[in-house]
Amino acid sequence: MTQRLYIDVHVVQTVPPANLNRDDQGNPKEAVFGGVRRSRVSSQAWKRATRQHFDTQVPEPDRATRTKRIAQELTARIVRSTGLERDDSTRLAEALLAQLGLSQGKKASDTAYLLFYGNAQLDAVAALVAERATDLVALDEKALAEEVKELPVVESFSTGHPVGVALFGRMVADIPKLNVDAAVQVAHAISTHETQLEFDYFTAVDDQNERDETGAGMIGTIGFNSATLYRYATVGFAQLVENLGGDTDAALDALDGFVDGFVLSAPTGYQNSFAHRTRPSLVAVVVRTDQPVNLVSAFEEPVATKAGIQAESARRLAEAYTGEARTWGDAPLYGAASHIFTTDEPRTKDTAEALARAFGESVPFADLRTTLRTHITSALGEEA
Amino acid sequence: MTPPGRTSVLLLRLAAPLQSWGDRSMFNRRETRPEPTKSGVVGLLAAAAGRSRHADVDDLAGLGLGIRVDQPGSLLRDYHTVSDYRGRPLLSAAVSANGVQKPTSPAKRTHVTQRFYLQDAVFLAAVEGPGELITALEHAVRHPAFPLSLGRRSCVPAQPLVLGQRTGALEDVLRAEPWQVTKAVRNRWGRRNSNAAHVDLPATLDDPAGDEIRDDVPLSFAPTNRTFTTRRIRHTYLAAPTGLTPDPDHPPATGGHDPFALLGW
Repeated sequence: MTQRLYIDVHVVQTVPPANLNRDDQGNPKEAVFGGVRRSRVSSQAWKRATRQHFDTQVPEPDRATRTKRIAQELTARIVRSTGLERDDSTRLAEALLAQLGLSQGKKASDTAYLLFYGNAQLDAVAALVAERATDLVALDEKALAEEVKELPVVESFSTGHPVGVALFGRMVADIPKLNVDAAVQVAHAISTHETQLEFDYFTAVDDQNERDETGAGMIGTIGFNSATLYRYATVGFAQLVENLGGDTDAALDALDGFVDGFVLSAPTGYQNSFAHRTRPSLVAVVVRTDQPVNLVSAFEEPVATKAGIQAESARRLAEAYTGEARTWGDAPLYGAASHIFTTDEPRTKDTAEALARAFGESVPFADLRTTLRTHITSALGEEA
Repeated sequence: MTPPGRTSVLLLRLAAPLQSWGDRSMFNRRETRPEPTKSGVVGLLAAAAGRSRHADVDDLAGLGLGIRVDQPGSLLRDYHTVSDYRGRPLLSAAVSANGVQKPTSPAKRTHVTQRFYLQDAVFLAAVEGPGELITALEHAVRHPAFPLSLGRRSCVPAQPLVLGQRTGALEDVLRAEPWQVTKAVRNRWGRRNSNAAHVDLPATLDDPAGDEIRDDVPLSFAPTNRTFTTRRIRHTYLAAPTGLTPDPDHPPATGGHDPFALLGW
């Protein structure tokens, strides 16, 4: 797949007073942007939350279909590299894969995950038989199995990875062959407006000992702030397909799981003290065939603290989006949004209208996910 | 479009809430230079062009680079802990016989790292080279093969990233480009500086006769063989147009003599 295909996810989400991602001083992380202090949630914190959510939601793909797919991929490669007939190549591919014991499901530890293989690994395995393909095909089943046993198939396939790694990548400095380039890029979330760091001074009293000791058992402070955050992530679909060994269906599933996880998860820092779990007021997904476009510049001038930071932030995002398309003259392939702003409410009327101009009418989040999938599938279909 | 055989300059605006341009920090403390490195810019171009880490980057490393600091930003230290998201012990670098990483022993659950970023910085990067290559790179940056980032993957560039091509010498191109800051910053500066038509911005230019050396020219990005070589650079100040209209009734308060101008104050 050569086509550039990026899926941008933009989220505007308001969190109440909270401390969801703290530094070594125990205070919420911050950054300066547009000359003012902003609340920040690091990309690594939100990625961890996304990943945990993803793991609970995404069912393991079915082993049997997966094996069939690997066999198909491998067959296609053998056909390309040796010029054999498809039937013969299929025989070879199946003989090679027999060594992996994929269909039985191996011991129930990490390998309970169904592993995916990148294109490089499939190429390596196809290359094992490229030289002697004609001789191998001439053998009967038993002799073929014997011959193939000699080949280092398992070694070539030893660095498979579960679907989560295909999305989020893996980096092992000393063993580059284990590395998988992440398909997902997540920016640090920052507040669309200026924030102040505040402190909650607390005293803890020993309930068992109020008579003898009238003072506090312990005192301290918890840093916190409250923010409307702009969160952005993009998925490089070509990279994702490559990480999943060319399996477009698995890539669509992974993308869907990522969008769900990124939108609905949240870091859990201090959650028992602040109960900060909210859901986004705006989620926009944009499918682009040129490049990922981060809209953070919309908030470089901080949103003023008057009525409705949330609505104002969403309005600015919508206008930045339409402005981008106008400036560069490149309409994205598809854009849609789920949001809470309505035209019936005077305070959010402008926002709802700007969003409708940018993304059309708001759709329920479940529909957003389905239509996203449909649009990507049809885009890929046109390409094929 | 430039005629064949001519050199051309590609202008990139490197701006985002966070950027990070490491040059030689390793392990748990990842620092950033105060301005983009050549390896960072070359890496961005190579990623845009879809080159793998093993690909040859000599043609890109041979491009002339000039960086103008439009807004220096400030340093941000990010306290970053690493742990397995499933709550298992971290994996070690050692692998078992069948190529699977072994867990750390004794089990280590959290790894602390310090990562430094530049926050709220804006740079103008000018890349000079043969016209055809620059045109190809401009198209690549507008249609990147991999998502681009400003030195670290979480540093997503803010738009616009590409300002287009210019013809002329690197230094002249950097001098002619309007100051890339927000209206608010520009107006604030204008109030203090009598809306002067030009602002002196620090710049670093590749120059074979330069008096300073940087060790950030990539020879290879291959994971097991990352190697760099040196380049000579020169620092200067460039008077860039602010787009403000000076008020003739209120000349600058310095009486035309500003001893601190050389320091960029």
